[in-house]
Amino acid sequence: MGRNEIRLRRQKVSSGRIAQHRNYGELMERHERDVRLRRIVKTFIYFLIIAALLVMFLIVRRWEEKKVNAKPQTGLVRTLEVSELNQPKS
Amino acid sequence: MSEAEIQYEYSILERSRRNPKAFGELYEKYFDRIFNYVYRQTDDEDLTADLCSQTFLIVLKNLDRYEFRGLPFSAWLYKIASNEVNKHYRKEKKNKVFSIEELRVRELIEQASESWDEEIIQRLLNYLKDLPTEMLEVLELRFFEDKDFKEIAFILDISESGAKMRTYRALDRLRRNFNLKIKYDGKE
Repeated sequence: MGRNEIRLRRQKVSSGRIAQHRNYGELMERHERDVRLRRIVKTFIYFLIIAALLVMFLIVRRWEEKKVNAKPQTGLVRTLEVSELNQPKS
Repeated sequence: MSEAEIQYEYSILERSRRNPKAFGELYEKYFDRIFNYVYRQTDDEDLTADLCSQTFLIVLKNLDRYEFRGLPFSAWLYKIASNEVNKHYRKEKKNKVFSIEELRVRELIEQASESWDEEIIQRLLNYLKDLPTEMLEVLELRFFEDKDFKEIAFILDISESGAKMRTYRALDRLRRNFNLKIKYDGKE
């Protein structure tokens, strides 16, 4: 069946060899780099969200402005229609 | 590990949340153990070094999320290391390697049997090959890392009774096949 590979070795890896891989300074550097990168990504995402909200706000405002500007024209046409209706037929 | 030691480690973790440099003490304390634990599952020094730094990086990144559950901090470290090893094997789509120390195997066999020879060791290796990975993981933590069942359950994300059951089944097969008298704690 052999699902796993089993190997037998003489002994543990020596402390000296493990010590070659132990470097807390390097780990801290990587950690600080990661923290900085995460901060940049977070700031960028916040910036994107704010930009998207701003764009949406501008679109809605413009649409409302258009709506407001369009109203009097309709009203005028209606007024005309009403006034025409009120005129006695000659 | 005594309650006082567990509390002391927790106080270091509390300090590390404000100042990650304080974590250095725990890094120095546990690096070798985590290295040996990962190396046993990879048999590759460079890969082990990578997985170890990845493990400690994840710990540093998630210090704020650590919750004290009455277990030593090392259990959390082992859990992350175990997840990193499994992630590596899933990504590489390879069979898991278990590289065990001959000295420890001999110790265990000596404790469990009066007479043993090279043939028994070879048969034992063949037997271990056929064991499911989950059982090997439990055996490794129990007999090579000396973890108790509560910790094993936490590390492997299983119930305590599940950890006991896996060990019991593996040992039961060993007893039947090799006439060994290994108990739960690796002693006769």
